[in-house]
Amino acid sequence: MSILNIKNIHLSIEDKSILKGVSLNVNPGEVHAIMGPNGSGKSTLSYILSGKEGYELSSGNIYFDNKDLLELSANERSNQGLFLAFQYPVELPGVSSMNFLREAVNVRRKFLGKKELNHLEFVKEARRLASSMFIKDEMLKRSVNVGFSGGEKKRFEILQMMLLEPKLAILDETDSGLDVDALKIVSNGVNNYKGKDNAVIVITHYQRLLDYIVPDYVHILADGVIKKSGGPELAKIIEKNGYAGIVDAA
Amino acid sequence: MQRKHNDFSKAIKKHVNENYLKDDDRRSFLNNFSDWPSPTNEKWRLSRLGKLARKSFIPYVSSSKKIKETSATNEDFFSLVFINGIFCKESSDKLPKEIEMSFLSAKDLISNLRDVNNRSVLNHPTLNITGSCFQDFIKLKIKANCSIAKPIELLQTGNCPHNSIHPLILIEVEKNSKIKILEKFKTNVALNAPLQILKLEKNSKIEFIKFHNDDSETTNLSLLISFLKEDATCNIFNLINGGAFTRSETHSYLKGKNSSMNLNCVYLSTDSQHHDVTSSIYHDFPNCNSSQKVRGVLNKNSTGVFQGKIRVEKKAQKTNAQQMSRALILSDKALSNSKPELEIYADDVVCSHGATVGELDEEQIFYFLSRGIDKQKARFMMIEAFLSEIIEESVDKVFLDEVLNETEIAFKKILEN
Repeated sequence: MSILNIKNIHLSIEDKSILKGVSLNVNPGEVHAIMGPNGSGKSTLSYILSGKEGYELSSGNIYFDNKDLLELSANERSNQGLFLAFQYPVELPGVSSMNFLREAVNVRRKFLGKKELNHLEFVKEARRLASSMFIKDEMLKRSVNVGFSGGEKKRFEILQMMLLEPKLAILDETDSGLDVDALKIVSNGVNNYKGKDNAVIVITHYQRLLDYIVPDYVHILADGVIKKSGGPELAKIIEKNGYAGIVDAA
Repeated sequence: MQRKHNDFSKAIKKHVNENYLKDDDRRSFLNNFSDWPSPTNEKWRLSRLGKLARKSFIPYVSSSKKIKETSATNEDFFSLVFINGIFCKESSDKLPKEIEMSFLSAKDLISNLRDVNNRSVLNHPTLNITGSCFQDFIKLKIKANCSIAKPIELLQTGNCPHNSIHPLILIEVEKNSKIKILEKFKTNVALNAPLQILKLEKNSKIEFIKFHNDDSETTNLSLLISFLKEDATCNIFNLINGGAFTRSETHSYLKGKNSSMNLNCVYLSTDSQHHDVTSSIYHDFPNCNSSQKVRGVLNKNSTGVFQGKIRVEKKAQKTNAQQMSRALILSDKALSNSKPELEIYADDVVCSHGATVGELDEEQIFYFLSRGIDKQKARFMMIEAFLSEIIEESVDKVFLDEVLNETEIAFKKILEN
């Protein structure tokens, strides 16, 4: 039984056709990479999946964990176990990171029928996972993403993923702006999280991240369709030759 | 069609003649009041008093009728209880020996205001009505070289929907002394017109928190005038959430070098409430600091006003004066006005002002949603963050829990549909 089943989706924004029939099936335990040139619709796909307003399909269906995803609001999708690591995480001035994380975790726990964590229980758990992501306590006391470096923001996204234990994690250009050390930390986090019951979609422009998070499948998204799918070797070909040959005007 | 004003000026003339015929000092205030300021008066253009002017009411006078007393219960404070502007000794705590309490007259009010020459103060309706119609004029004097850790609580209650009330208080902090005060306005009256004077002597300090939380039909026209001598610090934090119409107006005179005036405010408005924060800070001496920071959250048809004035005299070099107003609008029909006014005659100063009016950011909301937090909770957390930033920066820690709690109750209320 698949975790995510995207069936022939189409999306236009202001009369411009962005996705022109994308289908994708993701099973538990799998890592899928979606690659493609700039402007190919990769991030659009992540917004559709996470339920952002203004990204409503003109046709097609999406099933998440056997439910009609399009019937669920953005927060309900998260409650059900869908997670998006943002390419550009927004800043929330005045909202303490610790409070934000606790609220998110308790909403998810409540949904799963688990007991909500009190402040102390939560802080203990958050610190444990944060230290594995090399996130200092001091950072958790700051406002969400405010004054965080690019690398800190991405690590904070992965920390949220670890805390929320989603069934499907979508990482949107998580490698952008990361140096090698940060890339390793982030990748370790993802690799420790992935298991036989969950799945990961890595959206990336470059092959670099895929050296660390090794995908089972690679899909090339261009001109609003998946032009080609294959194994990890496809990413290597792109690294070598670029998108030329696969995409008409790369 | 213009509706006719009730002739309040005639009514109070009669009232003063009947009650205080021999008091010429009260009459001198009365003579300065001819009518409510009109919308053509620039100081009142954004906060119009038409509705108040059409109400029929007279000032409250104490009667033998027993009023249900409120008693102070909080052991964390020395509580002083006022009912309809009258000091209620039975319900109040005994003050420590470092604080002297006395009752003053209209003559004392005149002498305490002799340094004031601004027309916006001298013609202020609260000054003139309260100066002529007050019941009790309380003075609290904090003796020199005393630091009083336990705060004073001023409970301003009232219940006379067809009267105006006129609380009048002078707080004098003698040199090298410190005091903390929490004042709560919770009245159900036609007009609450409190007049307060703060006098801070050399190197003294006051932390003053004010909750304006009157009944939904009440108009509150607060006027506070403060005088700061050398090295004095006055920190005032206003929380305005009650009343049909509340204007909290402050005039601060920096009358000694190195003095510091911080006047920060949060207002939370809903339905057809009107909340106005008006302040003027007069920098007359060098090396003084001032800040006026206001944050408002407005829902439904409410309106908010911030009028902030900074005046820096020629000799007030090295002045540092900051002003910032930010409003968050939650409904298409809510409105926020901001009017900064900077008059600077010195050349070596740092003065800044800014104003923003905006809605909650959709990208930020989406970030919450993407983490499973629903829209209502997201809005709540964002407003809480918007407000707690300024509260944590402005409020002394002894009052912090109380202020955060009161604010939370107030903004939960304005988020209700």
